Amino acid sequence: MSKLGRVVEAVEKYNRFVLDQVKRARTDEKFGRELITRWSEAKAKTPVTHTPTGLPLPRLALPEIDEPGEIARYLFGEGLPGEFPFLNGAYREMYLEPVRENELGSYGRNGDKNEVAAEMSPANRSKVPTRPPRQSRPPEEPTRLFSGLMLAEDTNERFHYLTQHQRTHRLSTAFDGPTLYGIDSDADGVFGKIGEGGVAIDTVEDMVRLYDGFDLGSPNFSASMTISGPAPIIMAMYIAAAKSRFGSKVVPKLRGTIQADIFKEVQAQNETIFPIEASLRFLTDMVEFTTRKLPRWYPISISGYHIGEAGSTPVQQAAYTLSNGFAYAEMFAGRGIPVDQFGPRLSFFLDCGLDAEYIALARVSRRIWAIGMRDAYGAGPRGQLFKLHTQTSGRSLIAAEFKNNLTRTAAELMLAYMNATNSCHSNSADEPFTTPSEEWIRLAAHGQAILLEESGIFKHTMNMLSGSPGMKAVERAVEAGILDEFREIERLGGVLAAVEDRFQRSQIQNAAHRYEQQIYDGTRPIIGLNRYRNGTDDIPEVKLARTPRAKQQLQVDRLKKFKKKNVEKAKHALDKLVDVVERGENCFPALLDAVEVSSLGQITGRLQEVVGRFRPMV
Amino acid sequence: MAAPIRILTAVPICDGHDSAINTINLEFIRHGIEVIYLGYHRSVGDIVRAAIQEDVRAIGISSYNGGHIEFFAEVVDLLRKRGASDIKVFGGGGGTITHEDAIAMRRKGVEQIFFAGTSLTEMTDYVRDNYGKARKKRSLSKSREIELARELTEIEGTYGKGKRPARKRKIANPQPPIRNSKVIGFTGPGGAGKTTLIDELVLRILLRQPTARIAILSHDPSVVGEGALLGDRATMINSQNDRVFMRSMATRGQAGGLSPATHDCLALLAQSNFDYVIIETVGTGQEAMPFQKNGIVDLTVLVMNPDYGSQLQLQKIVMLDLADVVVVNKSDLQRARTAHSEIEQRLEQNRRGQRLIDTVAKRHRDPGVDRLFDLISADRTR
Repeated sequence: MSKLGRVVEAVEKYNRFVLDQVKRARTDEKFGRELITRWSEAKAKTPVTHTPTGLPLPRLALPEIDEPGEIARYLFGEGLPGEFPFLNGAYREMYLEPVRENELGSYGRNGDKNEVAAEMSPANRSKVPTRPPRQSRPPEEPTRLFSGLMLAEDTNERFHYLTQHQRTHRLSTAFDGPTLYGIDSDADGVFGKIGEGGVAIDTVEDMVRLYDGFDLGSPNFSASMTISGPAPIIMAMYIAAAKSRFGSKVVPKLRGTIQADIFKEVQAQNETIFPIEASLRFLTDMVEFTTRKLPRWYPISISGYHIGEAGSTPVQQAAYTLSNGFAYAEMFAGRGIPVDQFGPRLSFFLDCGLDAEYIALARVSRRIWAIGMRDAYGAGPRGQLFKLHTQTSGRSLIAAEFKNNLTRTAAELMLAYMNATNSCHSNSADEPFTTPSEEWIRLAAHGQAILLEESGIFKHTMNMLSGSPGMKAVERAVEAGILDEFREIERLGGVLAAVEDRFQRSQIQNAAHRYEQQIYDGTRPIIGLNRYRNGTDDIPEVKLARTPRAKQQLQVDRLKKFKKKNVEKAKHALDKLVDVVERGENCFPALLDAVEVSSLGQITGRLQEVVGRFRPMV
Repeated sequence: MAAPIRILTAVPICDGHDSAINTINLEFIRHGIEVIYLGYHRSVGDIVRAAIQEDVRAIGISSYNGGHIEFFAEVVDLLRKRGASDIKVFGGGGGTITHEDAIAMRRKGVEQIFFAGTSLTEMTDYVRDNYGKARKKRSLSKSREIELARELTEIEGTYGKGKRPARKRKIANPQPPIRNSKVIGFTGPGGAGKTTLIDELVLRILLRQPTARIAILSHDPSVVGEGALLGDRATMINSQNDRVFMRSMATRGQAGGLSPATHDCLALLAQSNFDYVIIETVGTGQEAMPFQKNGIVDLTVLVMNPDYGSQLQLQKIVMLDLADVVVVNKSDLQRARTAHSEIEQRLEQNRRGQRLIDTVAKRHRDPGVDRLFDLISADRTR
């Protein structure tokens, strides 16, 4: 049985354990009394807050139950927020306004734990922080915007602009196509793609320019890099750039996230450059290095977003993301990295759309992850946390009568926060037909502020909307669905075997096709498209900022100069790298040397000679 | 009944957004179109080479990662340079291609750009209306490759739905055979890894025989309603090379893993001055030996998946008695050792000197594939 099979068993076993506790609470009087005492204490300790209209509300809402069996079902089956199995939330308090001194009971001050989660940011523009708003908070904080355009110095300028009024500098970096595919800017046929959709990075010199002026070792700085195929090479460039500016002392202080999710690339996003096993080996090399030398770095962001966007059902999205996560955990443990070292360095990224599953998808995922990590992998409390970034669904947005997209995104945001996501990105309404413009980005960000800050839905009380009968029904159905998917993957021989069998890929494609079919035949109503269509096309004409040819040429020229300067050194460093790869040792240190003198494309090319190229799956 | 429309679809280099094109491909084939799908992250050179070799009516490009004005224009330019301007270019990119961009692209020779919100029906209608009529007579091309591609189209066209042409085709202007082609046939059940294995062999030929030229005739099944998704090119990354001429054929209603026109096409390729001609069947059942009657194939290779079931199942596989070489691919699977000994036993009974080779084609530099290469090229590397 693969580890995934053991996760299924662990969840089933835990569910039986919960039922046993319920029974025991009802029959064992002493146990029942203990539970009632615990329950009463939890309620008594909860501070009361007052809304602007003077309404008193507890900061944590709990179900009105006093029967020991039901209390057991809640405490063991769901857990209080911040307690195993974390159904209601990874942390005790989230989104709440800070406690005012006169309201502070024995409950204690709200920890700043949320910062741990808030610092991870995969693909996110216009993200609003989920930390409690501070009293002195300026009326508008754009926080961390996903950015990447043209050349490194252009993106750098944008980073400085975006963070100029911020205390903390949290950057989120998008790369251009050639970089995502590990190709140099001077490669054949990519000229028009240089600096499009993200920043062009070819060498360590570009990486220095990209974060110039930022204090990379500061606790107030973190960098997020949305790249997977060539992630280890880019990570090495980042470390090398930091060292060249601040010396090697800076390395253990570096904070940030790199996406590095190979499984989802093969399953959905198609930015894979080496064969799967080689990709996973390079990833593990990197994780082994960073968990030891950069303990504050998140070396992987396990992403379901792209799986969802490629067309999967919500259950498939959660099941594949979780099983990918468990497969990574198995690999890292297999390399000998202690689970309590890598466990807390894993983070997740999910899509949130409008289907009913999203009422509880992330809640259930958090629970399954916690049980699996604790009981199948032996992880301690920090390694059990499913730290989640959510993005609203881009696929749910359409061009026709696009202003409706504001409503779609608002509903999705609501669902995301009902699932207690640790951070969230809201899409711009104009996304279906253009790169988001300032106006719609602002509205998207404001949507989050309206929900979290203006409305009273999330800021007064934890669990405000948790635990409705409908939500419970969805939780049960979703959990059963996810476990069924796990069993199917297990039957195929585990995650890697299923991936190679293109199981997830074809499941996603089938679901995508079914979705399109449903829109076509009207069984999936899309307002303004197949229902209540008014026929007017109100898409505004947009002008997009494109990378000027002169800049693209500059990038090519700089790269050529770098290559010329380093001809001999590059040859030596790449030979050494290849040697280490052939010997099967951890190649990350050799990669760190190689990036000093060779370009991304040179490294990719040499590695492909040794391990081969990725063979696409159709 | 006119021959189905053939078009090529692809996603540009540094772009992995294949969700839209996957849906569009399915819609096209549902409406009787044969789609040669080249896959995502494909270069201009790969796209144009494939379009010419497959002699398609048009190329559909789905681009979501920017740089489309340059990319589309480069495709049009390269087609023109290669003398293949009769192959048209259309495409789309959801919201990433603006109306202004589309005007610029049309000016550079792109025929049509679809915007966000275009229905699948509109696209299918467009393809049928614009690329469905019979082609005008084309003037003789100077390019040998283009001429060969057109001759193959002509052969395919003379075979109606499952019918044989009235008289046997004569091959026009066969090239003087400077050296004989070695014709190798690959067959075996679906999912055994034939395509990957061939692509790995091609890589070895290209690396070790610097002047060798290869032709590949690859087959995929037609679906009901005549369309077909011909997707082998998408996974055959090494075969997208100027020394490789690849042609994808749909079975067009014929059972047995080949097309009615295969025999004639193969005969033409075998006389067209390639060092190797490789033919791959559709994943086939157990009884037939598709190359038996042809008489053109020099060497038949049966590619097996170790998971064929029980030994009893094995007894039913007639091809095991007919193939020259049997390959047990995916020999890293648990069942591979059992499969090897069961098949070995069977081949020994045949006493025909059949060879048995274990491979893991998906593995880079697999020694089993090396052995197969040595066997195939034994008389070529003098």
